Amino acid sequence: MAKGYTGEIIEGHANGRSEGEYLSVEVDFVLLHDPTFALILPELKKSGEEIWDREKVLLTVDHFSPPSSIERANIVKEVLSFAREKRLPHLSVYQGICHQLLVEGPWLKPGMLVLGADSHTVTGGALGCLATGMGSTDILYALITGRTWLKPPEAVRIDLREKLPPYLMGKDVILDLLGRYGEGGFLYQALEFYDKDEAIPMDDRFAICNMVVEGGAKNGLFRPDRVTENYLMERDGHLEKSKDWLEEGFKYSRKIEMDLSSLKPKIALPHSPAQVIDAEEIKDEAIDQVFIGSCTGGRLRDIELTAKLLRGRKVARGVRLLVTPASQRIYKMAIEKGYISAIIEAGGVVLNPSCGPCGGIDKGILGREERCLSASNRNFKGRMGDPSSKVFLSSPLTAAASALAGRIIDPREVM
Amino acid sequence: MALPEIISGRVWKLGDHVNTDLLHPPSHFTPDEKRMKEGIAEGRARLGAGAKGDSSEEGWIIVAGENFGCGSSRETSVRGLSAFGVKGVVAVSFARIFMRSLVNLGIPVFESGEIEGWVKDGEMIRISLKEGWIELMDSNRFHFSEIDPHFKKILEAGGLPAYLRSEKHGV
Repeated sequence: MAKGYTGEIIEGHANGRSEGEYLSVEVDFVLLHDPTFALILPELKKSGEEIWDREKVLLTVDHFSPPSSIERANIVKEVLSFAREKRLPHLSVYQGICHQLLVEGPWLKPGMLVLGADSHTVTGGALGCLATGMGSTDILYALITGRTWLKPPEAVRIDLREKLPPYLMGKDVILDLLGRYGEGGFLYQALEFYDKDEAIPMDDRFAICNMVVEGGAKNGLFRPDRVTENYLMERDGHLEKSKDWLEEGFKYSRKIEMDLSSLKPKIALPHSPAQVIDAEEIKDEAIDQVFIGSCTGGRLRDIELTAKLLRGRKVARGVRLLVTPASQRIYKMAIEKGYISAIIEAGGVVLNPSCGPCGGIDKGILGREERCLSASNRNFKGRMGDPSSKVFLSSPLTAAASALAGRIIDPREVM
Repeated sequence: MALPEIISGRVWKLGDHVNTDLLHPPSHFTPDEKRMKEGIAEGRARLGAGAKGDSSEEGWIIVAGENFGCGSSRETSVRGLSAFGVKGVVAVSFARIFMRSLVNLGIPVFESGEIEGWVKDGEMIRISLKEGWIELMDSNRFHFSEIDPHFKKILEAGGLPAYLRSEKHGV
Protein backbone atom coordinates (compact mmCIF):
# COMPACT_ATOMS: atom_id res chain seq x y z
CA MET A 1 0.00 0.00 0.00
CA ALA A 2 1.48 3.32 -1.05
CA LYS A 3 2.05 5.98 1.57
CA GLY A 4 -0.48 8.36 0.07
CA TYR A 5 -0.28 9.96 -3.37
CA THR A 6 3.26 11.07 -2.48
CA GLY A 7 4.32 7.44 -1.98
CA GLU A 8 2.59 6.53 -5.23
CA ILE A 9 4.49 9.26 -7.09
CA ILE A 10 7.81 8.11 -5.61
CA GLU A 11 7.13 4.47 -6.53
CA GLY A 12 6.08 5.54 -10.02
CA HIS A 13 9.36 7.39 -10.51
CA ALA A 14 11.63 4.73 -8.96
CA ASN A 15 14.18 3.20 -11.31
CA GLY A 16 14.84 0.03 -9.35
CA ARG A 17 17.94 1.09 -7.42
CA SER A 18 17.82 1.44 -3.67
CA GLU A 19 20.24 2.00 -0.79
CA GLY A 20 19.03 1.64 2.75
CA GLU A 21 15.64 3.30 2.95
CA TYR A 22 16.35 5.50 -0.06
CA LEU A 23 15.06 4.90 -3.56
CA SER A 24 16.68 6.29 -6.68
CA VAL A 25 13.96 8.19 -8.57
CA GLU A 26 13.71 9.99 -11.89
CA VAL A 27 13.09 13.72 -11.64
CA ASP A 28 10.57 15.50 -13.89
CA PHE A 29 11.61 19.10 -13.32
CA VAL A 30 14.22 21.18 -11.46
CA LEU A 31 13.90 24.76 -10.25
CA LEU A 32 16.97 26.96 -9.72
CA HIS A 33 17.51 30.51 -8.53
CA ASP A 34 20.45 32.87 -8.48
CA PRO A 35 22.00 32.47 -4.99
CA THR A 36 21.59 28.74 -4.48
CA PHE A 37 22.59 27.93 -8.07
CA ALA A 38 25.64 30.20 -7.73
CA LEU A 39 26.89 27.93 -4.94
CA ILE A 40 27.20 24.91 -7.27
CA LEU A 41 28.28 26.69 -10.44
CA PRO A 42 32.03 26.23 -9.75
CA GLU A 43 31.55 22.50 -9.03
CA LEU A 44 29.31 22.04 -12.08
CA LYS A 45 31.85 23.74 -14.35
CA LYS A 46 34.75 21.83 -12.82
CA SER A 47 32.97 18.50 -13.29
CA GLY A 48 32.73 19.02 -17.04
CA GLU A 49 29.27 17.41 -16.86
CA GLU A 50 26.25 18.69 -18.71
CA ILE A 51 22.71 19.29 -17.44
CA TRP A 52 20.79 16.08 -18.13
CA ASP A 53 17.82 17.74 -19.84
CA ARG A 54 17.80 21.50 -20.31
CA GLU A 55 14.09 21.47 -21.18
CA LYS A 56 13.34 20.33 -17.64
CA VAL A 57 15.08 23.16 -15.84
CA LEU A 58 13.82 26.63 -14.92
CA LEU A 59 16.54 29.07 -13.89
CA THR A 60 15.34 32.30 -12.34
CA VAL A 61 17.09 35.41 -11.12
CA ASP A 62 14.66 36.39 -8.39
CA HIS A 63 16.59 36.92 -5.15
CA PHE A 64 19.07 39.53 -6.35
CA SER A 65 16.48 41.05 -8.59
CA PRO A 66 18.00 43.41 -9.50
CA PRO A 67 21.20 43.11 -7.41
CA SER A 68 21.85 45.64 -4.65
CA SER A 69 25.57 45.12 -4.12
CA ILE A 70 28.66 44.47 -6.21
CA GLU A 71 28.98 40.91 -4.89
CA ARG A 72 25.39 40.15 -5.86
CA ALA A 73 25.83 41.81 -9.26
CA ASN A 74 28.74 39.45 -9.85
CA ILE A 75 26.67 36.44 -8.78
CA VAL A 76 23.93 37.39 -11.24
CA LYS A 77 26.53 37.99 -13.97
CA GLU A 78 28.03 34.51 -13.44
CA VAL A 79 24.61 32.84 -13.45
CA LEU A 80 23.52 34.65 -16.61
CA SER A 81 26.72 33.97 -18.46
CA PHE A 82 26.37 30.24 -17.68
CA ALA A 83 22.72 30.26 -18.78
CA ARG A 84 23.62 31.91 -22.09
CA GLU A 85 26.61 29.66 -22.71
CA LYS A 86 24.49 26.55 -22.14
CA ARG A 87 21.50 28.07 -23.93
CA LEU A 88 19.11 27.21 -21.13
CA PRO A 89 15.67 27.49 -22.73
CA HIS A 90 13.82 28.48 -19.55
CA LEU A 91 15.59 31.48 -18.12
CA SER A 92 13.68 34.12 -16.24
CA VAL A 93 15.41 37.34 -15.22
CA TYR A 94 13.69 39.73 -12.79
CA GLN A 95 10.27 38.34 -13.81
CA GLY A 96 9.20 37.37 -10.32
CA ILE A 97 9.71 34.89 -7.50
CA CYS A 98 10.77 31.44 -8.66
CA HIS A 99 7.95 29.60 -6.85
CA GLN A 100 5.35 31.71 -8.62
CA LEU A 101 7.07 31.48 -12.01
CA LEU A 102 7.27 27.70 -11.66
CA VAL A 103 3.49 27.40 -11.38
CA GLU A 104 2.72 30.12 -13.97
CA GLY A 105 4.75 28.30 -16.64
CA PRO A 106 3.44 25.23 -18.50
CA TRP A 107 5.62 22.69 -16.69
CA LEU A 108 4.02 21.37 -13.50
CA LYS A 109 1.18 18.86 -13.64
CA PRO A 110 -0.39 16.49 -11.13
CA GLY A 111 1.67 13.40 -10.41
CA MET A 112 5.04 14.93 -11.29
CA LEU A 113 8.18 14.76 -9.18
CA VAL A 114 9.75 18.21 -8.87
CA LEU A 115 12.86 19.45 -7.08
CA GLY A 116 14.05 22.95 -6.35
CA ALA A 117 17.12 24.49 -4.78
CA ASP A 118 14.96 26.30 -2.24
CA SER A 119 12.92 25.08 0.72
CA HIS A 120 9.72 26.74 -0.54
CA THR A 121 9.67 24.57 -3.66
CA VAL A 122 6.91 22.74 -1.74
CA THR A 123 4.56 25.47 -3.09
CA GLY A 124 4.15 23.56 -6.34
CA GLY A 125 2.40 20.73 -4.51
CA ALA A 126 -0.81 22.74 -4.75
CA LEU A 127 -1.02 21.45 -8.33
CA GLY A 128 -1.01 17.84 -7.11
CA CYS A 129 2.64 17.04 -7.65
CA LEU A 130 5.43 16.03 -5.31
CA ALA A 131 7.49 19.20 -5.09
CA THR A 132 10.25 19.49 -2.54
CA GLY A 133 13.25 21.65 -1.76
CA MET A 134 16.85 20.55 -1.39
CA GLY A 135 20.26 22.05 -0.77
CA SER A 136 22.46 23.09 -3.67
CA THR A 137 24.63 19.95 -3.72
CA ASP A 138 21.58 17.67 -3.93
CA ILE A 139 20.41 19.79 -6.85
CA LEU A 140 23.82 19.46 -8.51
CA TYR A 141 23.36 15.67 -8.45
CA ALA A 142 19.86 15.96 -9.92
CA LEU A 143 20.98 18.39 -12.64
CA ILE A 144 23.69 16.05 -13.85
CA THR A 145 21.89 12.72 -13.49
CA GLY A 146 18.19 13.58 -13.78
CA ARG A 147 17.72 11.57 -10.61
CA THR A 148 17.65 11.96 -6.86
CA TRP A 149 17.42 9.73 -3.79
CA LEU A 150 14.20 9.86 -1.78
CA LYS A 151 12.98 8.07 1.29
CA PRO A 152 9.19 7.54 0.96
CA PRO A 153 7.72 9.64 3.79
CA GLU A 154 4.80 8.86 6.06
CA ALA A 155 1.72 10.60 4.73
CA VAL A 156 -0.79 12.65 6.72
CA ARG A 157 -4.29 13.22 5.34
CA ILE A 158 -5.87 16.60 6.01
CA ASP A 159 -9.56 17.01 5.18
CA LEU A 160 -10.65 20.61 4.73
CA ARG A 161 -14.41 21.20 4.89
CA GLU A 162 -16.63 24.20 4.12
CA LYS A 163 -15.67 27.40 2.30
CA LEU A 164 -13.24 30.06 3.47
CA PRO A 165 -15.28 32.95 4.94
CA PRO A 166 -14.39 36.37 3.42
CA TYR A 167 -12.10 37.25 6.36
CA LEU A 168 -9.98 34.10 6.05
CA MET A 169 -7.29 33.07 3.59
CA GLY A 170 -5.22 29.96 2.97
CA LYS A 171 -2.53 31.50 5.14
CA ASP A 172 -4.81 31.27 8.18
CA VAL A 173 -5.35 27.57 7.48
CA ILE A 174 -1.65 26.74 7.44
CA LEU A 175 -0.88 28.99 10.43
CA ASP A 176 -3.59 27.16 12.38
CA LEU A 177 -2.03 23.80 11.51
CA LEU A 178 1.47 25.01 12.41
CA GLY A 179 0.20 26.43 15.68
CA ARG A 180 -1.45 23.16 16.64
CA TYR A 181 1.30 20.76 15.59
CA GLY A 182 4.46 22.83 16.02
CA GLU A 183 7.62 23.59 14.08
CA GLY A 184 8.65 19.96 13.92
CA GLY A 185 5.11 18.59 13.95
CA PHE A 186 5.29 17.09 10.48
CA LEU A 187 9.00 16.26 10.34
CA TYR A 188 9.85 14.16 7.22
CA GLN A 189 6.13 13.70 6.47
CA ALA A 190 3.99 14.36 3.41
CA LEU A 191 0.84 16.42 3.95
CA GLU A 192 -2.01 15.58 1.59
CA PHE A 193 -4.90 18.03 1.55
CA TYR A 194 -8.40 17.09 0.48
CA ASP A 195 -10.54 20.13 -0.26
CA LYS A 196 -13.85 18.35 0.29
CA ASP A 197 -15.97 21.20 -1.05
CA GLU A 198 -13.54 22.06 -3.87
CA ALA A 199 -13.81 25.66 -2.75
CA ILE A 200 -10.31 26.85 -1.85
CA PRO A 201 -8.89 29.12 -4.57
CA MET A 202 -5.58 28.02 -6.11
CA ASP A 203 -3.72 31.08 -4.76
CA ASP A 204 -4.69 30.06 -1.23
CA ARG A 205 -3.62 26.49 -1.90
CA PHE A 206 -0.21 27.79 -2.96
CA ALA A 207 0.06 29.65 0.36
CA ILE A 208 -0.91 26.51 2.30
CA CYS A 209 1.58 24.25 0.50
CA ASN A 210 4.27 26.96 0.65
CA MET A 211 4.41 26.78 4.44
CA VAL A 212 4.22 23.03 5.05
CA VAL A 213 8.02 23.15 5.30
CA GLU A 214 7.67 25.36 8.40
CA GLY A 215 6.20 22.28 10.09
CA GLY A 216 9.11 20.15 8.88
CA ALA A 217 7.16 18.40 6.11
CA LYS A 218 8.94 17.01 3.09
CA ASN A 219 6.11 18.11 0.84
CA GLY A 220 2.46 19.08 0.80
CA LEU A 221 -0.01 18.50 -1.99
CA PHE A 222 -3.67 18.98 -2.84
CA ARG A 223 -5.75 16.22 -4.33
CA PRO A 224 -6.31 17.39 -7.92
CA ASP A 225 -9.93 18.49 -8.40
CA ARG A 226 -12.02 20.95 -10.38
CA VAL A 227 -10.07 23.89 -8.96
CA THR A 228 -6.85 22.29 -10.25
CA GLU A 229 -8.42 21.51 -13.64
CA ASN A 230 -9.69 25.05 -14.06
CA TYR A 231 -6.27 26.45 -13.18
CA LEU A 232 -4.49 24.17 -15.65
CA MET A 233 -7.07 24.83 -18.39
CA GLU A 234 -6.67 28.55 -17.98
CA ARG A 235 -2.89 28.27 -17.89
CA ASP A 236 -2.28 25.75 -20.68
CA GLY A 237 -5.44 25.95 -22.77
CA HIS A 238 -5.81 22.17 -22.49
CA LEU A 239 -5.84 19.38 -19.92
CA GLU A 240 -3.67 16.30 -19.89
CA LYS A 241 -4.67 13.09 -18.23
CA SER A 242 -2.70 12.78 -15.02
CA LYS A 243 -1.88 9.94 -12.70
CA ASP A 244 -5.01 8.50 -11.06
CA TRP A 245 -5.71 9.31 -7.43
CA LEU A 246 -6.43 5.86 -6.01
CA GLU A 247 -7.48 6.89 -2.55
CA GLU A 248 -8.56 3.44 -1.38
CA GLY A 249 -4.99 2.23 -1.82
CA PHE A 250 -3.41 5.00 0.25
CA LYS A 251 -2.10 4.47 3.72
CA TYR A 252 -2.10 7.48 6.02
CA SER A 253 -0.32 7.57 9.37
CA ARG A 254 -2.66 10.30 10.66
CA LYS A 255 -5.88 12.03 9.68
CA ILE A 256 -6.71 15.62 10.53
CA GLU A 257 -10.10 17.27 9.98
CA MET A 258 -10.56 21.03 9.69
CA ASP A 259 -13.75 23.03 9.44
CA LEU A 260 -12.76 26.22 7.65
CA SER A 261 -15.91 28.10 8.64
CA SER A 262 -14.99 27.93 12.32
CA LEU A 263 -11.43 29.27 12.03
CA LYS A 264 -10.44 32.77 13.07
CA PRO A 265 -7.73 34.99 11.51
CA LYS A 266 -4.32 33.95 12.84
CA ILE A 267 -1.06 35.62 13.80
CA ALA A 268 2.32 33.93 14.27
CA LEU A 269 4.28 35.67 17.02
CA PRO A 270 8.03 36.36 16.90
CA HIS A 271 10.23 34.32 16.33
CA SER A 272 8.46 31.18 15.13
CA PRO A 273 5.87 30.49 12.41
CA ALA A 274 4.39 27.90 14.77
CA GLN A 275 3.78 30.23 17.71
CA VAL A 276 0.27 31.08 16.64
CA ILE A 277 -2.68 32.84 18.27
CA ASP A 278 -5.95 34.37 17.06
CA ALA A 279 -5.55 37.95 15.83
CA GLU A 280 -8.43 39.03 18.08
CA GLU A 281 -6.36 38.06 21.13
CA ILE A 282 -3.71 40.67 20.33
CA LYS A 283 -4.13 44.03 22.04
CA ASP A 284 -2.15 47.20 21.33
CA GLU A 285 0.63 45.68 19.27
CA ALA A 286 1.84 48.70 17.29
CA ILE A 287 3.74 48.07 14.05
CA ASP A 288 6.28 50.07 12.04
CA GLN A 289 5.98 48.15 8.80
CA VAL A 290 3.57 45.89 6.95
CA PHE A 291 4.87 43.66 4.17
CA ILE A 292 2.51 42.01 1.69
CA GLY A 293 4.45 39.90 -0.78
CA SER A 294 6.79 36.88 -1.07
CA CYS A 295 6.15 33.37 -2.41
CA THR A 296 3.46 33.02 0.27
CA GLY A 297 1.54 36.28 0.04
CA GLY A 298 2.16 38.13 -3.22
CA ARG A 299 -0.33 36.46 -5.57
CA LEU A 300 -3.22 38.09 -7.38
CA ARG A 301 -5.82 37.18 -4.77
CA ASP A 302 -3.52 38.53 -2.05
CA ILE A 303 -3.14 41.84 -3.89
CA GLU A 304 -6.86 41.89 -4.75
CA LEU A 305 -8.06 41.50 -1.16
CA THR A 306 -5.44 44.01 0.00
CA ALA A 307 -6.55 46.60 -2.59
CA LYS A 308 -10.26 46.09 -1.96
CA LEU A 309 -9.80 46.63 1.75
CA LEU A 310 -7.55 49.67 1.30
CA ARG A 311 -9.62 51.34 -1.42
CA GLY A 312 -10.70 54.80 -0.29
CA ARG A 313 -8.84 54.53 3.04
CA LYS A 314 -5.43 55.54 4.31
CA VAL A 315 -2.65 53.53 5.90
CA ALA A 316 -2.14 54.70 9.52
CA ARG A 317 0.45 57.40 10.14
CA GLY A 318 3.81 55.96 11.06
CA VAL A 319 3.20 52.65 9.28
CA ARG A 320 5.15 51.83 6.11
CA LEU A 321 3.20 49.51 3.83
CA LEU A 322 5.27 47.59 1.27
CA VAL A 323 3.56 45.47 -1.37
CA THR A 324 5.43 43.16 -3.75
CA PRO A 325 3.54 41.29 -6.45
CA ALA A 326 5.02 37.79 -6.80
CA SER A 327 5.53 38.12 -10.56
CA GLN A 328 5.47 40.63 -13.38
CA ARG A 329 2.37 38.89 -14.72
CA ILE A 330 0.56 39.40 -11.41
CA TYR A 331 1.87 42.97 -11.26
CA LYS A 332 0.45 43.72 -14.71
CA MET A 333 -2.93 42.19 -13.90
CA ALA A 334 -3.03 44.11 -10.63
CA ILE A 335 -2.43 47.34 -12.56
CA GLU A 336 -5.12 46.50 -15.11
CA LYS A 337 -7.65 45.75 -12.38
CA GLY A 338 -6.89 48.98 -10.54
CA TYR A 339 -5.48 47.24 -7.45
CA ILE A 340 -2.11 48.97 -7.64
CA SER A 341 -3.73 52.43 -7.81
CA ALA A 342 -5.83 51.65 -4.75
CA ILE A 343 -2.75 50.55 -2.82
CA ILE A 344 -0.74 53.62 -3.82
CA GLU A 345 -3.64 55.98 -3.05
CA ALA A 346 -3.90 54.44 0.41
CA GLY A 347 -0.23 55.23 0.99
CA GLY A 348 1.35 51.87 0.14
CA VAL A 349 4.64 51.49 -1.72
CA VAL A 350 4.82 48.90 -4.49
CA LEU A 351 8.15 47.14 -5.06
CA ASN A 352 9.18 45.17 -8.13
CA PRO A 353 8.57 41.40 -8.05
CA SER A 354 11.40 39.70 -6.13
CA CYS A 355 12.05 38.11 -2.73
CA GLY A 356 13.15 41.44 -1.23
CA PRO A 357 12.24 42.06 2.41
CA CYS A 358 11.21 38.44 3.17
CA GLY A 359 14.75 37.12 3.44
CA GLY A 360 16.22 40.44 4.48
CA ILE A 361 17.72 40.58 1.00
CA ASP A 362 17.05 44.16 0.03
CA LYS A 363 14.58 47.01 0.52
CA GLY A 364 12.34 47.04 3.56
CA ILE A 365 14.98 45.65 5.93
CA LEU A 366 14.04 46.23 9.57
CA GLY A 367 16.03 48.43 11.94
CA ARG A 368 16.69 48.04 15.64
CA GLU A 369 13.64 46.85 17.59
CA GLU A 370 11.28 47.61 14.72
CA ARG A 371 8.08 45.59 14.43
CA CYS A 372 6.73 44.23 11.19
CA LEU A 373 3.58 42.34 10.29
CA SER A 374 4.40 40.26 7.25
CA ALA A 375 2.38 38.12 4.84
CA SER A 376 5.54 36.06 4.17
CA ASN A 377 6.44 32.68 5.60
CA ARG A 378 9.21 33.05 8.18
CA ASN A 379 9.65 35.28 11.21
CA PHE A 380 12.87 33.81 12.53
CA LYS A 381 15.02 36.14 14.58
CA GLY A 382 17.02 38.43 12.31
CA ARG A 383 15.57 37.06 9.07
CA MET A 384 14.15 40.42 7.97
CA GLY A 385 16.81 42.66 9.44
CA ASP A 386 18.29 43.66 12.77
CA PRO A 387 18.31 40.72 15.24
CA SER A 388 16.38 42.84 17.73
CA SER A 389 13.53 43.43 15.25
CA LYS A 390 10.29 41.49 15.62
CA VAL A 391 8.28 39.92 12.83
CA PHE A 392 4.67 38.76 13.12
CA LEU A 393 3.09 36.70 10.33
CA SER A 394 -0.48 36.85 9.05
CA SER A 395 -2.62 36.61 5.92
CA PRO A 396 -2.36 39.49 3.44
CA LEU A 397 -5.88 40.53 4.48
CA THR A 398 -5.00 40.75 8.18
CA ALA A 399 -1.80 42.56 7.23
CA ALA A 400 -3.71 45.14 5.15
CA ALA A 401 -6.29 45.67 7.92
CA SER A 402 -3.50 46.15 10.44
CA ALA A 403 -1.79 48.68 8.16
CA LEU A 404 -4.98 50.76 8.33
CA ALA A 405 -5.16 50.47 12.11
CA GLY A 406 -1.47 51.01 12.82
CA ARG A 407 -1.55 47.98 15.09
CA ILE A 408 -2.26 44.30 14.69
CA ILE A 409 -6.00 43.69 14.40
CA ASP A 410 -8.48 41.06 13.32
CA PRO A 411 -9.53 42.09 9.78
CA ARG A 412 -13.22 41.75 10.76
CA GLU A 413 -12.80 45.03 12.69
CA VAL A 414 -12.54 46.97 9.43
CA MET A 415 -14.51 44.82 6.99
CA MET B 1 37.29 5.42 2.81
CA ALA B 2 37.20 9.07 3.79
CA LEU B 3 35.38 8.38 7.04
CA PRO B 4 37.58 8.06 10.12
CA GLU B 5 36.64 5.38 12.64
CA ILE B 6 36.62 7.88 15.46
CA ILE B 7 35.96 11.59 15.34
CA SER B 8 36.50 13.92 18.24
CA GLY B 9 35.90 17.58 18.89
CA ARG B 10 34.72 20.30 21.22
CA VAL B 11 30.98 20.45 21.82
CA TRP B 12 28.97 23.38 20.52
CA LYS B 13 25.64 22.87 22.22
CA LEU B 14 22.41 24.13 20.74
CA GLY B 15 18.73 23.86 21.64
CA ASP B 16 15.56 22.85 19.77
CA HIS B 17 14.41 24.22 16.40
CA VAL B 18 17.61 26.14 15.68
CA ASN B 19 16.96 27.42 12.17
CA THR B 20 19.43 28.19 9.41
CA ASP B 21 18.60 31.92 9.46
CA LEU B 22 19.87 32.02 13.05
CA LEU B 23 22.84 29.79 12.39
CA HIS B 24 23.92 31.74 9.33
CA PRO B 25 22.04 35.06 9.01
CA PRO B 26 20.71 35.68 5.50
CA SER B 27 22.55 39.02 5.35
CA HIS B 28 25.77 36.95 5.28
CA PHE B 29 24.91 35.01 2.13
CA THR B 30 28.01 34.78 -0.03
CA PRO B 31 29.74 32.25 -2.28
CA ASP B 32 33.05 33.21 -0.64
CA GLU B 33 34.15 30.58 1.87
CA LYS B 34 36.01 32.94 4.18
CA ARG B 35 33.00 35.20 4.48
CA MET B 36 30.68 32.20 4.87
CA LYS B 37 32.66 31.37 7.96
CA GLU B 38 32.16 34.91 9.25
CA GLY B 39 28.43 34.28 8.93
CA ILE B 40 28.75 31.37 11.37
CA ALA B 41 30.63 33.62 13.81
CA GLU B 42 27.72 36.07 13.59
CA GLY B 43 25.28 33.18 14.08
CA ARG B 44 27.20 32.06 17.16
CA ALA B 45 27.05 35.56 18.58
CA ARG B 46 23.28 35.69 18.00
CA LEU B 47 22.84 32.26 19.54
CA GLY B 48 24.71 33.39 22.62
CA ALA B 49 27.64 31.05 22.05
CA GLY B 50 30.19 33.76 21.26
CA ALA B 51 31.56 34.03 24.78
CA LYS B 52 32.88 30.47 24.70
CA GLY B 53 35.52 31.35 22.13
CA ASP B 54 35.30 31.09 18.38
CA SER B 55 38.11 28.71 17.67
CA SER B 56 38.79 25.14 18.58
CA GLU B 57 42.02 23.48 17.53
CA GLU B 58 40.32 20.12 17.96
CA GLY B 59 37.39 21.05 15.71
CA TRP B 60 33.74 21.14 16.73
CA ILE B 61 30.96 18.66 17.21
CA ILE B 62 27.52 20.22 17.40
CA VAL B 63 25.02 18.67 19.80
CA ALA B 64 21.54 20.02 19.09
CA GLY B 65 17.95 19.32 20.07
CA GLU B 66 14.91 18.68 17.90
CA ASN B 67 14.42 19.70 14.28
CA PHE B 68 17.95 21.02 13.91
CA GLY B 69 18.55 23.19 10.85
CA CYS B 70 14.93 23.97 10.01
CA GLY B 71 14.11 26.77 7.59
CA SER B 72 15.98 27.93 4.54
CA SER B 73 17.87 25.47 2.32
CA ARG B 74 20.75 27.93 1.80
CA GLU B 75 23.74 25.64 1.87
CA THR B 76 25.93 28.50 3.08
CA SER B 77 24.92 27.47 6.60
CA VAL B 78 26.40 23.99 6.15
CA ARG B 79 29.40 25.15 4.15
CA GLY B 80 30.03 27.78 6.82
CA LEU B 81 29.95 25.09 9.52
CA SER B 82 32.43 23.04 7.54
CA ALA B 83 34.76 26.04 7.16
CA PHE B 84 34.32 26.72 10.88
CA GLY B 85 35.68 23.26 11.67
CA VAL B 86 32.52 21.27 12.46
CA LYS B 87 33.39 17.58 12.09
CA GLY B 88 30.11 15.98 13.08
CA VAL B 89 26.59 16.85 14.21
CA VAL B 90 24.51 15.06 16.82
CA ALA B 91 20.83 16.00 17.20
CA VAL B 92 17.64 14.62 18.65
CA SER B 93 16.20 15.10 15.16
CA PHE B 94 17.15 16.99 12.01
CA ALA B 95 15.26 19.10 9.49
CA ARG B 96 15.45 17.04 6.31
CA ILE B 97 17.09 19.48 3.88
CA PHE B 98 19.75 20.41 6.42
CA MET B 99 20.51 16.78 7.25
CA ARG B 100 20.93 15.88 3.58
CA SER B 101 23.17 18.91 3.03
CA LEU B 102 25.43 17.96 5.95
CA VAL B 103 25.86 14.46 4.56
CA ASN B 104 26.28 15.76 0.99
CA LEU B 105 29.18 17.90 2.18
CA GLY B 106 30.74 15.00 4.05
CA ILE B 107 29.76 15.90 7.63
CA PRO B 108 28.44 12.85 9.51
CA VAL B 109 25.08 13.17 11.28
CA PHE B 110 24.00 11.21 14.35
CA GLU B 111 20.51 10.95 15.82
CA SER B 112 20.52 10.52 19.57
CA GLY B 113 17.79 11.52 21.96
CA GLU B 114 19.62 10.93 25.26
CA ILE B 115 22.95 12.67 25.06
CA GLU B 116 21.40 16.15 25.00
CA GLY B 117 20.66 16.19 28.72
CA TRP B 118 24.16 15.11 29.72
CA VAL B 119 26.61 16.81 27.44
CA LYS B 120 28.12 20.19 28.36
CA ASP B 121 28.95 23.03 26.00
CA GLY B 122 32.70 23.17 25.36
CA GLU B 123 33.59 19.66 26.54
CA MET B 124 35.59 17.28 24.36
CA ILE B 125 33.69 14.25 23.07
CA ARG B 126 34.54 11.27 20.87
CA ILE B 127 32.29 9.43 18.43
CA SER B 128 32.95 5.93 17.15
CA LEU B 129 31.31 5.51 13.77
CA LYS B 130 32.30 1.88 13.70
CA GLU B 131 30.92 0.88 17.09
CA GLY B 132 28.08 3.36 17.24
CA TRP B 133 28.76 5.29 20.45
CA ILE B 134 29.36 8.85 21.60
CA GLU B 135 31.67 9.22 24.61
CA LEU B 136 31.58 12.24 26.89
CA MET B 137 34.46 13.62 29.01
CA ASP B 138 33.22 11.62 32.02
CA SER B 139 33.42 8.43 29.93
CA ASN B 140 29.64 8.09 29.77
CA ARG B 141 28.66 6.50 26.48
CA PHE B 142 25.50 7.01 24.44
CA HIS B 143 24.32 5.15 21.39
CA PHE B 144 23.07 6.74 18.23
CA SER B 145 20.60 5.39 15.69
CA GLU B 146 22.25 3.49 12.88
CA ILE B 147 23.28 5.72 9.98
CA ASP B 148 21.27 4.86 6.86
CA PRO B 149 23.37 2.81 4.39
CA HIS B 150 22.74 5.41 1.69
CA PHE B 151 24.11 8.21 3.87
CA LYS B 152 27.01 5.98 4.85
CA LYS B 153 27.96 5.48 1.22
CA ILE B 154 27.92 9.22 0.56
CA LEU B 155 29.99 9.89 3.69
CA GLU B 156 32.47 7.17 2.79
CA ALA B 157 32.89 8.72 -0.65
CA GLY B 158 33.60 12.07 1.03
CA GLY B 159 30.35 13.77 0.03
CA LEU B 160 27.78 13.72 -2.76
CA PRO B 161 29.96 15.16 -5.57
CA ALA B 162 32.53 12.40 -4.94
CA TYR B 163 29.75 9.80 -4.67
CA LEU B 164 28.43 11.00 -8.03
CA ARG B 165 31.88 10.74 -9.61
CA SER B 166 32.27 7.16 -8.42
CA GLU B 167 28.75 6.33 -9.57
CA LYS B 168 29.38 7.75 -13.05
CA HIS B 169 33.00 6.94 -13.64
CA GLY B 170 33.88 4.43 -10.96
CA VAL B 171 36.54 6.73 -9.46
